[in-house]
This record gives sequence, structure tokens and C-alpha cells, in this order.
Amino acid sequence: MKHNDIQIAICGSAGDGTIAAGDILKRAMARAGYKVIAFDLYPAEIRGFGKCVARVRITTEQAYSLKRHSDVLVSLDDSHAIPHVGEVRDYGAVIYDDNPIARLPEGGHMTAHVRPSQVPYGLSQRQISELATGAGRSRNIVILGYLAGLYGFPVAQFRQVIEAKFRTKAAAVTEGNLRAFDAGFEAGAATFKLDDVVLAPPAHGEEGAKTIMMTGNGAVVRGCLDAGIETFFGYPITPATTIMERLAREMPKRGGRLLQTEDEISAISATLGAGYAGARAATATSGPGLALMVEMLGLGVMAEVPAVVFVSQRGGPSTGMPTKTEQSDLNLAVFGGAGDAQRIVLAPTNVEGCYRCAGKAFELAEAHQTPVIVLMDLYLSNRYETVVPPAANPFAPKGAKTLDKVTAGETYRRYAATADHVSPRTLPGQEGGMHAITGLEHDEFGRPSDQAKVHMAMSAKRHDKLKAAVEHPDLTVCKRFGDEGPVDVGILGWGSNFGEILEAMYATQDEGIRCAAMKVVMLSPLPLERIAAFLADCKEVLVPELNYEGQFANLITGALGRPVTRLTRVTGAPMEVEEILQVVRSLAGARTAA
Amino acid sequence: MAEPHHNVIIGHGSAGNGAATTLRERDPDCRITIINMGSLPFYNRYDLPRVFQDCDDWRDILAHPPSYYDEQRITLRRNSRVVDVDGRARTITFAHNEVMHYDRLLVCAGGRGYLPEELSDYRHLMHGFGSFEAAVSMREALSDGGTVIMLGGDMIGLDLARTLVATGRRVVLVANDYTFWPHRVAADERDGHLHALTHMGIEVRDGAHPIAVEAVGESGSARRLVFEDGATLEGDVVMPFYGLVPSVEFMLRSGVDIERGLLVDPWLRTTDENIWAAGDVCQIWSDEEKAYRFYYGWTNVRVMGEVVARNVTGADETFAGIEDERLRVDEKGHIYSPFWEH
Amino acid sequence: MNEISGPVYLEEKLKEIRGDGHLDYRSQALPTWCPGCGYFSVSEGVTKALIGLGIPQHNVVVVSGIGCASRFPFFLKTYGFHTLHGRTLPVATGVKQANDALTVLAVGGDGDAFAIGAGHIPHAARRNVDITYLMLDNGIYGLTKGQTSPTSSLGFVTSTTPYENRDLPLNPLMMLLSYRASWVGQGYAGKPHDLERLIAEAIAHRGFSYLHVLSPCVTFDKTDKTYANLDLEVRDLPDDHDPADLMAAMAVAAKPETPALGVFYREDRPTLGDAMREIIARAGGEASAAAAE
Repeated sequence: MKHNDIQIAICGSAGDGTIAAGDILKRAMARAGYKVIAFDLYPAEIRGFGKCVARVRITTEQAYSLKRHSDVLVSLDDSHAIPHVGEVRDYGAVIYDDNPIARLPEGGHMTAHVRPSQVPYGLSQRQISELATGAGRSRNIVILGYLAGLYGFPVAQFRQVIEAKFRTKAAAVTEGNLRAFDAGFEAGAATFKLDDVVLAPPAHGEEGAKTIMMTGNGAVVRGCLDAGIETFFGYPITPATTIMERLAREMPKRGGRLLQTEDEISAISATLGAGYAGARAATATSGPGLALMVEMLGLGVMAEVPAVVFVSQRGGPSTGMPTKTEQSDLNLAVFGGAGDAQRIVLAPTNVEGCYRCAGKAFELAEAHQTPVIVLMDLYLSNRYETVVPPAANPFAPKGAKTLDKVTAGETYRRYAATADHVSPRTLPGQEGGMHAITGLEHDEFGRPSDQAKVHMAMSAKRHDKLKAAVEHPDLTVCKRFGDEGPVDVGILGWGSNFGEILEAMYATQDEGIRCAAMKVVMLSPLPLERIAAFLADCKEVLVPELNYEGQFANLITGALGRPVTRLTRVTGAPMEVEEILQVVRSLAGARTAA
Repeated sequence: MAEPHHNVIIGHGSAGNGAATTLRERDPDCRITIINMGSLPFYNRYDLPRVFQDCDDWRDILAHPPSYYDEQRITLRRNSRVVDVDGRARTITFAHNEVMHYDRLLVCAGGRGYLPEELSDYRHLMHGFGSFEAAVSMREALSDGGTVIMLGGDMIGLDLARTLVATGRRVVLVANDYTFWPHRVAADERDGHLHALTHMGIEVRDGAHPIAVEAVGESGSARRLVFEDGATLEGDVVMPFYGLVPSVEFMLRSGVDIERGLLVDPWLRTTDENIWAAGDVCQIWSDEEKAYRFYYGWTNVRVMGEVVARNVTGADETFAGIEDERLRVDEKGHIYSPFWEH
Repeated sequence: MNEISGPVYLEEKLKEIRGDGHLDYRSQALPTWCPGCGYFSVSEGVTKALIGLGIPQHNVVVVSGIGCASRFPFFLKTYGFHTLHGRTLPVATGVKQANDALTVLAVGGDGDAFAIGAGHIPHAARRNVDITYLMLDNGIYGLTKGQTSPTSSLGFVTSTTPYENRDLPLNPLMMLLSYRASWVGQGYAGKPHDLERLIAEAIAHRGFSYLHVLSPCVTFDKTDKTYANLDLEVRDLPDDHDPADLMAAMAVAAKPETPALGVFYREDRPTLGDAMREIIARAGGEASAAAAE
């Protein structure tokens, strides 16, 4: 049993402070120098009694996904937590209230459901909370103290995080919560530890002070701000709304202008207008919103206007499952819109990638004068990971490919042919640079034309100018992990699913299977040479993804002709590492058997 | 289709375990729930001295692997303390506020260590040995070559003392009326038996009357026993072994007859036809002695569990204890008790 | 209409025309509008207004949607964005948000504005985005060769309504007044001098200006909204009309059978740009050059 990896699931109802407890736990452990991945499950309804599950995985070395099995389950409400008892591994711990206030029918208490191989810990959460604070509401803080006492978590960081979290409330609230934590800690330290859940001290404790916990959406916001976003237009849609909400608070502090529009079409339209006028402009949406936006995206492609669109995918099709994760908008992002409208699509695989892709998207949009889609999903948007913020701003300021001076007497040619197919552009307000852009096919001056020569040349220009994007010196466009050279099984993946893929790939190394994994971040244009080289090394290729049709598999097979094994799942939840591992084993086994 | 019978067993010691396994053998369809105050699945408490030898992990002393209970479809309720039984309604109530219905109830709750009134204030400074957790705590409080001050010295304690001596620790026994419990030792045999203990490596202080325990030493980790006459005795831990008291408080309102333990007939049935009992918790009617009596020791307790399970499922067996219950001194000059057989 | 008082010499006329520089505002492209189309008056009016207001070409962005009217940007030598059907106003809003110093004109026809684009109008109006919306109403879809539009009359016969149009026409002026657009006016392509003045006033107004221009389609509507009919129907707003009185403006607008010409309503209130500057100030930020007026 590795002593550097524990996953704690806290389960209760919305009113129990379940999410807050998970929040304090992950921030405290991040500060202490651990690597943390956390993902919360929220109730589908707004009204107060639904189930919440906060899952936090704490490791000393970098991990890439949550585990199917948690090591510890804490129940703040047995009626919600009981269905999750099966997720705790053998000899893991189940912690619950042994003195609940309500009389329960047979089977209504956690002790009826703890499996024989699991270790039960009863704690008088409510009573301890009442003694410490006068009310039962701090049960969620009591259990945090209990965990710290039982497992030897660093207490100082918990106190810091609790103080920070409640600093806007009355001092009595913070003091009460600290007492509740201490009381829980005493109880935990006094408890005889029977489980085998152990966490070693962190490898790089000193980094902890600089580490922050960030979600994918939070990272996008940070990337936009660091890249100097100037305008944002958006329409609320799950799970992208929090991007707009955070930017609404932060952009004005930096002179930025944000507007909530009346719909997604207005949002993308205004973004293109702002991009045309020279601003770093972005919008954010989900699949259904992107479906509305594709007509305007085509205009951006045709008229060569920079814009950035963040898309966080959720269960589809149509309204689908707004609070579940999926990867089924790849086709829409890469191909959506009328005609040959290729654009740049980036798909980060982790929170740090969301930060980088967000900022780089503005650079790419300007350098290639086209809309750039940054494609994420609900899991990545809402997943917390430990991130060390970069020491210096990694993003270039705006100004790429603009024309400084227009030669007097000449009519400016907005779409002039150039070696790299990107024509220097003038911006409204610039003397002598006047021109009109349009969604009609047009000549070098931008004047509407439907001549065969013009359309062929412009189609080539719009496509060829993107090819250089795969050679970006500063952005990971695709990357290979694992065994070098020829392998039995290669796993090709994209987006948040790559975390589970990596964990599966590393697991095979203990089983003597030669395995490698490649993540593709730039989905359009595809870095075909590098992908082809990877595929050439693989006896078998597995493409796992969270959509029904195997959209990425279709993309690869269509581009390179190589047959692949597909693993498609549409459960609304992330794929399980074991599922991927099983298929890898059977592919490797089939190979050796053959 | 009729709901299967729900057989509830209170207590997961040797009696409860014997009852559960036998019940499942004889009735493959019934529901079986075992209720345990402790946190762990069944292990043999008579095995606990192994923590001083080869056993560090509770998984190594379990009598059955955890998967056994799923295979046998036996529901384990751990960390669950029964606070009330209603014989008429056939329900039990837990300390955690849950109510459970039973069709038949088998009370195998055993007993807990007795502590005389005058020492009850010092309970928190003493170490017990009734569970795996207590055993490990005590081992950790005791250094290599450390000293155990044992009060009373019932057969459970003396069994532990053997192991302690064998692993290089020092045991000082403060002997009294409870020494050798449950054996009743005749006055003329007592000195001889005490001498046998000394021969086994146990230091014996007889006739001394302890009145207090103090925490002493670095961070209060050691103990000092204070006697009535002012004398003191220092050691690492103080352990009371004053015999067992049956755990019957939760049965007080159930309607069954209780003396010191639950009163049962030779078929192990209480005065409530749906409530049975086995193990250290019950007193069984003896036609010979014309009285209710206890039967102790692992063999008796286990057999009681099996018998009660067979009777609950239609058999007609009376319980007969082990033949030879006498305490003796063996050829090596050491004390030997048939209750130690396990 | 200019009265011809004497002989007109070509050179003098050319000097006159070139002299005021307004030909600079014309692009090299030949307009695609039919001879007699009302849109020519509008582009003349825009050119004269910009010169009159001293707004240089490079500070002007003309944003349009799809339709005959939406061809506007190609015929002026300013910055222009010919966007998609119905999306003129949000794009124009985006341009303004990016650079509030620009003069932004939104141009569209009745289909672009009130069919597919209708949902965007209330929001541009209520935000008081400082742009000028020139809505060129010919009561028909001309570019696609003559289908009904939201302002076509009841009974109008077209290729998609061979049995007569049954949909009640919208009343754009009442709509814009109900949206509290901060400047609402109506002009007529058959009265180009008045139209020029209205265009200039609309552009000069600080806030969202809506100028409804009645402009006949000489090719596809020979029966309904023709110059001949409109000449007889239009009238000026009464001299005592108070443009600060919203309900009075509504009352006049409620009589579309006699379209009134002039400024229906005007008010001064903070623009979207003002709001952005105030938000930035409140947040403790510094308005960049782009956010400045």
C-alpha cells in the first residue's frame, strides 16, 4: 500500500457545509505542500436538501485524476452518504455521527452499511459542535479536526485556511470554528487508528506557501487577465458561467469592459466586433451556446478576425445533462459552421493547461487572425488542482501582425498575399487604413467577389495560414508520455480524460506492458506528423473518450487512416482508470497471444 | 412469499460467532445480524496475548476474513451499542438512535471487567485487555522489559501474565479474593497455587490492599499503586483483573428474568420465548445444583453459542459444560486451567 | 430638392463636389443599388453629416447585416464590417466596447432589423450604446428579390405571399420608443435635405440613436410604399411636438398611415461607455485609452 496517496470523500446534504469542508481540506493540504486534486458533486436542484460530495485526493507526488475508490468516507448525512459506502476501499475508513438527533428506522444509520472489510469510526459530530460553538452547524469543521487528529495532518495550515475563509464574518464565528476544529482534533488524536490509511509528509513542503488551488475555470480567468483581456461578452450557461462571474469582478480593476449579453449570438457577435476593433476579446459558453455561435464563428474565419471562445462541454446532445461532464462537442468545435471554416481549437488536459491555453489563445488568435476555441469540459472546469503560479507573465502583449503605417496614395489591401498567408491588418482609428471586411468571399482589398480564382486563393490562404500553428514554440501542442520507442499499446487522448489515461498508463508499467500515451492539445489544425510518428510506434492504439460516437477516433482515423480501438463512455462522469487499464491489458494480451 | 426470519445476535465474541456460523449452516435462508460494540470483525479474545508475539495487525487475528461475512450473508453491525430491548414489540434500540426489529434475539453480550468501587475513580489510569485496541494500547505503554502491576489476577489476567513473563516483562500480582476467578480455590490450596505462580515467574504480593493509582514519571507515562498502609509500588501499567460482570443493563426492560446474568433454561432460552442467551452473559439452570450458574472459558462459551443456534432452529439440545473445571498445578509446578483451552 | 436656378457648369460642380472632400468618403466600388433606390440619399446624407461634424474617415466604423441596405460599408471609405443577418447591433456594440472613441454607424434594412435582428434591438437601446442605427425601411426583402418583411403592409402580394400578406406589420417607431431609445427620429429618402439634417443630428446625439428612413424599393414594390404614395402620406411632426414627451411621441407613432418626419423623442442619459468608465472607476481600475471617449 503506497503511503503517499489518500482520497477523502465527504458526503452530506447541501446545508451541512459539505463543500466548505472539502474546500478547507484541499486548501490546507495544498498549503502544506501536498499535490491535491479535488472535484465536487453538487445537487441538481437549487433548493437546499440535495446531496453534495466533496472528493479530495492528496498525494506527495503529482497525480492526474481521482481514484475510483476513496480511502476515507466522511458522512455528514447518512441518508446521502450510505449509497457511497461502496466506494471506500477495503481497510479504508468510514466516519459518521454516532449520535444523530433523529430517531432512525432500521437501516437508516451508517453502521448498517459499513462493509465488513471497512473500518467504522463513530464521532459525536453534532454534540462536539454544540459544545464548541453552541450550535450543531460546525459539524463539518469538527470532522476536519477529527481527520487531522486521526491521520496526523498539519494543523497550522488548517487554522490559517479557516481564519481566511471566515474572515468576513464576525470574529466569534472564526473563533467558534477554530474551537470546533480543535475539539474534533482531540477526538481524532484520541481515537485508536484501525484503518491502514497513511499519508507521508509532503515532499516539497516549502513550495506549499506558494501553491494555490485552482479550478479549470479559475485558471482560464487567470490566463485571460494575465494576457490582458480587454473585452468579454457572455451569456450564462452551465458550466461556463463562473468564468464570466469572476471576470466581471476582476476586469474592471484592470480597465477591462465586460457585458452580459442577451444571448450567445450577441456575445460572439460583440466579441468579433471588439476583435475587429483591435481589442483582446473573448467569450465563454458550453455546447448549446457554441451551436448558436457557429454561424458567427464562420464569419470570423472568413473575415479573418481574432476572437477567443472558451467552451466547457457538458452532457449532450441538445440541452442534455447540464451538470454532467462529457466530451461530445469536438465535432462542433472543429467543424461547426457553414463551409470550409477551419479554425484553431485547443483542448487543455489539466488546470495548468487551462491557464496556458487561455493566455496563448489570444496570441494565436492575433497571430493567425482567426477565432480560437479553447475546449474544456465540466470536469476540468470544476476540478481543483494544486498550481504554482508562474514567476513571470508568460504571455506576449497584443500587437502581432498589425500594420504600422499605410503607404500614402495606395489603397490598403487587408487581405494581401504574404509568405505566411497572414496579412498585416490596420485597426479602426488608424489613418489611411480604412477597409471593409465581410462574410462574403472577397479579394485582397476585401471587396466581395465570387470569382473562381479568388475563392480558391482565399480558401488556400485561410487554411494554409493555420499550418504554422502546430509549430508554436511556446505551447505544448501534443506530448508523449511513458515508454519510448516501440510499444505494445499506445493510448491517444485529449481533454480532461487524459488524466485517467496517464494513471492507467503508469499502472501498466508495473505489469510489464510496454505502453505510452499521447495527449493532443491542438485539435485543429492537428499536428499530424507527430501523431503519425507516435502511431507508428504502437502495435495497438486505444482512443478513450467521453462521447458516444468516438469523435476524436473519427478525426484521427479520417486524417491518418489508421484503425484504432475505441473506448467510448457517456456516463456523465469521468472515465474510470480501471476501465482504460482493462482494455490496455486485453490489447496487450491479445498481442502476446496472437 | 414470507419474509425470512430475522435472527439478531447481540455480541460478537466466541458465543455470538459460534451462534452465527451454526445458524447459517442450519438455516440458509434466514437473515442474520450480529451486533458488536467494537469496531472489528470477530476475533478470538483469548488470542489477544498474541499482540506480544507475532501479531501486530488486527487483520492477522481475525477469525474469518471480511469476505466471509458477505459469503455467509451475515450482516455485521459494528460500533453499535444496544441500549434497550422491548420483548413485546420485539425491537432493539441502539445508542445511535436506530430501532431494529427481530424475530428471534440471541443475547451473547458477554461480560465486562469488574472494578471494585474504591478503585473506580482510577479507572482512567488503568489499562484493560478486553479488545485488540486495549491490548495494543497497553503494549505500547509497556516498554521492553517493563513492569505490569496486575490487580486481582483472574484466569484471563493470569493467561496474559504467562505471555508477559515469556516475553521478558515483569509482572507483579497484587493477589486478593479474585485471584484465580472463576475458579473457587479452597483456603488450603491457595498458598500452593500462589506459590505456583511465583514459580512461573510472577511476583506475588498477597494481603496488600490498594486504594489509589497515580500517574508518575516523564509526561505521566508510568504508574504508582498506593496501598492502604502507605506502601507504594511502581510500574508501567496497572491492570485490573477482577473477573467479569455480565452485561445485562440493556435487557432490564425486556421483560426477561435477570439475576446477575440473564436466566436461561438448559436449552438456553430465557423467560421470553423469542429471546435466547449464550456465553458469559447467562446463568443456566442446573438441575444438580438446583441453581443458576455461569460457565466460563472459551470451550464452554463457543459450545453454548452452537447449542443455542441449533435450538433456535428447531433442535432440542441441553447444554452440558466441560467436564473438568478444576484449577490445578501441573507437573512443571505451573498453574493450569481448563478455561485456557482454545 | 435642389431648385435649379441657372446653368450648371460641370467643372464648377466637380470642384464644388471634390472641394468639400466628401468624395473621399466614397470607396472605389460601384454601389449595387438600383437607380432610384432611396439608399443613395442616405449615403449622401451620411457623408455630408460626417464632414459637417468633422469626424475623420478613419474614426468611423460602419457595421451592417445582410440585405441591400447592408451593402453600405462597401460604398463608403471608412472602416466597415459587413456581418451576418440580424447581428449588426451586437457587433457594433463590440466595436464600441473595444474603442469608445470610434464613431459607429449601424445600418440595416427592415428584415435585418425586425425579423432576425429584432431580439437585439431592445438591448442596444436600453444599454444606450452610443451608436447611430440607420434603419432603411422599404417594406420588402429586396436582395432576395421581393419577399414580405415585418413592415410589409397587410394584403401585400409577394412571391411568398401570393394570397396576400396576412401578418400585421410591426410598428418600429413605437417599439423603439417603448425600448426607451434615447433618440428616435424618422426621415424619408424622398426628402433628402431634411434627411441629411436628421442623420447629422442622430450621429451627433450622445447615446443610442434610431433613425427610421422610409426608402422605397423601386424594383420590387411598385404598388405599396412607392415614392408616389409616400409623397402624399408623409407629413412633418407638428411644430409644437415636444421631443421630451415620450407618450406624445408614442401617440404620433401610433399613426403609421401618415408617417411623421422629424425627431420624435430625445433624452440625455449615460451611455454604455459612461457606465463602463464608472464601473472601472468604482473598481479602482484605470480606464485605458480604449475605454476613454
